[in-house]
Amino acid sequence: MLLFYLKSLFAGMNRSRETAPQKRKRGDSNSLTQSPLDAERILYDLIKKKEDSGMWTGDMKKETNLPHPVVTKALKSLQTRNLIKEVVNFQNKTKKHFMAVEFEPSKELTGGAWYVDGNLDMEFIRELKKQCVNYINKMKVATIEGVSEFVKKSAVFNVECTTQQIAEIMKALVLDNEIMEVRSTGLGDHHSIPSGTVCYRCSSKGGQGGGLKVGGLASVPCGVCPHIGECTPDGKISPKTCVYFTKWLDF
Amino acid sequence: MVTQYGIKLAVHIITTHFGELVAKVCQCLLQKGTLTLGEIIRFSELTPQQVKNSLLVLIQHNCVQAFAIEQEGAFGEAPKVVTQYLLVFENIIHRMRFSKFLSTVSQELGKECEELLEGLLQHGRLTVEQVLSRATSNLNEGHSAVQDSVRKSFIRLASARYVERCPASEPFLALPTDEETPAKKRGPKSAKVAEVLETIEQRALAAAVPMEAKRFLIITNSRTNHGENSEQSTSTEKLGEKRKHDVLEVDRELGAKVCEKEVLWRPNFEEFLLRLRNEVCVANVRSRMDEGAAIVLRAMLEATRASQTTVKAENSAPLSLGTISEEVIKSPEGRSMTLERIKASLSQLGCKQSVDELYSIDLKSIIESAQNDEVESIVLKRYGREAYRMFRLLLKTCQLLETDKISDTTFVEKKDTAMILYKLWKDDYLIMEKLITQGPRQLQFLLWKVNKQTLWKHVLDEMYHAALNLTQRMAYELDQGREILQQAREKIVGESKKKFERLRKVRMLLESSLMKLDDAIMLFQDF
Repeated sequence: MLLFYLKSLFAGMNRSRETAPQKRKRGDSNSLTQSPLDAERILYDLIKKKEDSGMWTGDMKKETNLPHPVVTKALKSLQTRNLIKEVVNFQNKTKKHFMAVEFEPSKELTGGAWYVDGNLDMEFIRELKKQCVNYINKMKVATIEGVSEFVKKSAVFNVECTTQQIAEIMKALVLDNEIMEVRSTGLGDHHSIPSGTVCYRCSSKGGQGGGLKVGGLASVPCGVCPHIGECTPDGKISPKTCVYFTKWLDF
Repeated sequence: MVTQYGIKLAVHIITTHFGELVAKVCQCLLQKGTLTLGEIIRFSELTPQQVKNSLLVLIQHNCVQAFAIEQEGAFGEAPKVVTQYLLVFENIIHRMRFSKFLSTVSQELGKECEELLEGLLQHGRLTVEQVLSRATSNLNEGHSAVQDSVRKSFIRLASARYVERCPASEPFLALPTDEETPAKKRGPKSAKVAEVLETIEQRALAAAVPMEAKRFLIITNSRTNHGENSEQSTSTEKLGEKRKHDVLEVDRELGAKVCEKEVLWRPNFEEFLLRLRNEVCVANVRSRMDEGAAIVLRAMLEATRASQTTVKAENSAPLSLGTISEEVIKSPEGRSMTLERIKASLSQLGCKQSVDELYSIDLKSIIESAQNDEVESIVLKRYGREAYRMFRLLLKTCQLLETDKISDTTFVEKKDTAMILYKLWKDDYLIMEKLITQGPRQLQFLLWKVNKQTLWKHVLDEMYHAALNLTQRMAYELDQGREILQQAREKIVGESKKKFERLRKVRMLLESSLMKLDDAIMLFQDF
């Protein structure tokens, strides 16, 4: 009797084992569905959901728990099938970032209008600054809208520059002390601008050669010396032994 | 609290002008603060006589003010009075800029006034009699005429407030009552002590100053002028009135004699600082705005000269448009300015019109703008243009900004932005705060800001350091070239002539640089 019970128990176990393989088979069939094609499907759906933000490969691995080689292979295949593309994240160029081909990368990824291939388009910025300063110099005083109109009409650039972009450039020029922000008095040079309106004029250059005026401390070697903290009257670095002084006084 | 290099510079000036003994007493007072004679003797390790003589020199040259202060007695004893000595740091630094004061007087009042002022600057304080004696010491004849001329020049100096009666030698400060010092009962002990000491020094200086009515008053003997009129008046005056008149005349003569013999006069540094501050404001407005705005500002400052009593006044005294216009057209440059142009300049200057249509200028903001220019200039030269843009952004914003925001606004690559900001932070130009977000994914942000108060003090100390370096380098160069300098000019030929020429250029460059640096020091220390 006991033997029969034990046999039946083992039989059950066998059945369960029999079923287990079935379950395993089902599990196997899951891993089969998580075949490369499934991995591609999972990843593609994930990336597409992110629309123009795209997704970093590291985040993909975290969300899907797919092993690295699987992810790599799947992404390569999706790229070849022209379903996804790699984009540069200007904030971190070393991280691989992908998005569905039908989307254009968002400003958070590209850095906006000022960035090209993840770097600031310095030539474009420089040229735009130059155009703004030339116009303000010519007009004596100008508003952001006035400068923006001028830039659009001049058609110097291949791309469209929005008023917002011009405003950003003008703010940077103020920080450079190339131009100054003033309020229109409605009189003299400001006659065409309503009184009280914010406008811009070129900064007066008090220094030699039209540059910025140099302050009292900046005019002497000590003002720019990287060793001022170590300089003492009778120390190793002192005014008597200072090489910067010697150079400055070398007529 | 004087900064480290402020102390070193002051001690250097006193050493150069009065020697090491006096400098030692000066250093003692700068490092320890206001002290009694006994304390100075103890800390300086000099003899009592040496300390006394040194104090006399420092008092004579307006670098020390003595005062008697009542202090609470210990263990139920009656209050006692002690004499303390406080060092007037600013007056020591003024010794570097005597040439500027002389130049101000020369331009405004002429050569004779400049020479009188020179005497006062050299000797610290003089009576009118001593001034007259000094002026006539080289003359063999014509004393009376010269003396009258000198007296008139002295009166002009006093009327313009460039000279003043010396302060009281030892003003008395009574114990403050309970109502006067509620602050003493609050806060930690050290803060209480610092607060009380600061108040005592300010009280001592205020108590020493003569009454405003007397401060610039010269009583002259106007007998000569009165004598011309006396014959005319005698026949018409009654006997009683003549007697009263004679008594007044004797009083006036006595008063004039006392004034000339006994009243000590000294340069009034405050007035020179006022003039120089006004020049700085006009120059700043000229460079930031235009000539028209500078002319209007100058006119307003001239028109309100009499009411300008403190260098750190935030606003100019209010004036009507009519008064401003009258003053503007007095100057050759302002003659062509229309009322409309003046109004436009007032608007440019940011003048706020009060309810009764009076205009005043915010002088504090002009000085702040000049200070900002100076510090920005240092940042530009030391750290480059991108750092300059970032620093200007943070200075304007006056609040914490995150690295990316700074990068976007100044058009600098993100990785470069972080590096530049770090350099500025390391050299104490910026403060930095870390912000870490909570949540599943912790992100760290770095925020940056300019702490103006700390930075301005740091910059001023660097200026003192640079000024000390310039004077020491000058002394070194002159010492190296002393053999050439001792030779007669006509005997300097060949290689020596080249060295002489170089020495001349070196001296000019160092002196002019020191004067320009001193303008910046005044901007941060005095204005």
